[in-house]
Amino acid sequence: MDRWWPDGTETGSRLWLGIVAIVTLGSALGVAQNVMLRMGSPNAGVAWKYEPPKLEEFGAAAADGHAASPAATPVVDPTNNDPLGLGAATASSGLDVPDLARPMQVQLSKVKEFFDAKAATFIDARDAEEYAAGHIPGAVNVPGEQATTDPARLEAFDPQGKPIIVYCGGGTCELSMSLGFALVAAGKHKVLVYMGGWPEWTTAGYPVATGPTPAGA
Amino acid sequence: MGLPAIHPTVRRGAQIVAGLIFLAAALPKIADVAAFAGSVHNFHMEPVVPVAATNLLAMTLPWIELIAGLALITGVRPRAGAVVYTVLLALFTIGVAAALARGLSFECGCFGKASAATIGVKKLAENLAMLAVGVIASIERR
Repeated sequence: MDRWWPDGTETGSRLWLGIVAIVTLGSALGVAQNVMLRMGSPNAGVAWKYEPPKLEEFGAAAADGHAASPAATPVVDPTNNDPLGLGAATASSGLDVPDLARPMQVQLSKVKEFFDAKAATFIDARDAEEYAAGHIPGAVNVPGEQATTDPARLEAFDPQGKPIIVYCGGGTCELSMSLGFALVAAGKHKVLVYMGGWPEWTTAGYPVATGPTPAGA
Repeated sequence: MGLPAIHPTVRRGAQIVAGLIFLAAALPKIADVAAFAGSVHNFHMEPVVPVAATNLLAMTLPWIELIAGLALITGVRPRAGAVVYTVLLALFTIGVAAALARGLSFECGCFGKASAATIGVKKLAENLAMLAVGVIASIERR
């Protein structure tokens, strides 16, 4: 029977060797496939590192949802993540933000400049309890889910001509990125997303406030 | 290992079933890595798996499934294949259960884009059944 069902004795190191071989071979083939795909075309396969969704994908999602379409005329190249160089540590000190067709990432040093100059409106995308436990002073709490359940609130949100800085609990901060896109879809043109978010802000020892969102905000 | 003795034919049968399941799962995912990467990301495992690594997972996992599936079907190192199958399914089941517990609802992409199975109790039961096949397939030959 063993002749037809070659089920040799697989125990101890022989078993482990087999397992390691399967995992190694599989991983190598998977990586090799992606290398080949990306050699053919840089957009084929998948990126080596996962990145948050791009505007085009959000636009497609918004088209069959209730959100308004993003700004009709992109002022900047939508494929460029950081046309202002806001991410650069040596970015210019100017706090003027042109109209943007998609949210732009902004780094701590720049966020602090906006904060000190009161030159931006802050939105905290985390849920109400986290917000009440501590937030950037002056920030308004718009939990991420409201972006989809209550688009009217986003449209009514008036940044008074100032840029909007959205932040959340750090990490990849998808909450703030998706809220950023929703704000753009709701007609806001100066939306910045602060990916470092709450953890980075507090680690830096910058001012914090507690309590729920002030009424009327 | 405390597992009951089992008729070789039953074990071999379980190995072939497990192998076919993994082949069926692997091929569509290999054909559309990008779609599977999206599925992996849907599970929101960032507390355990770094987000940057989800794409890496998406490109290697189907190939590991393929090799393990081939090992199970051809009978070349079938027990190693069975152990890989069982461990992976256990992880998938935990992933489904965790997603379910957090109220996430999405198409799992477990068998590629074409299968529209949504994360739910049914999917969980299905995974447990497939896990049982893996356990039988991994029982030591004596």
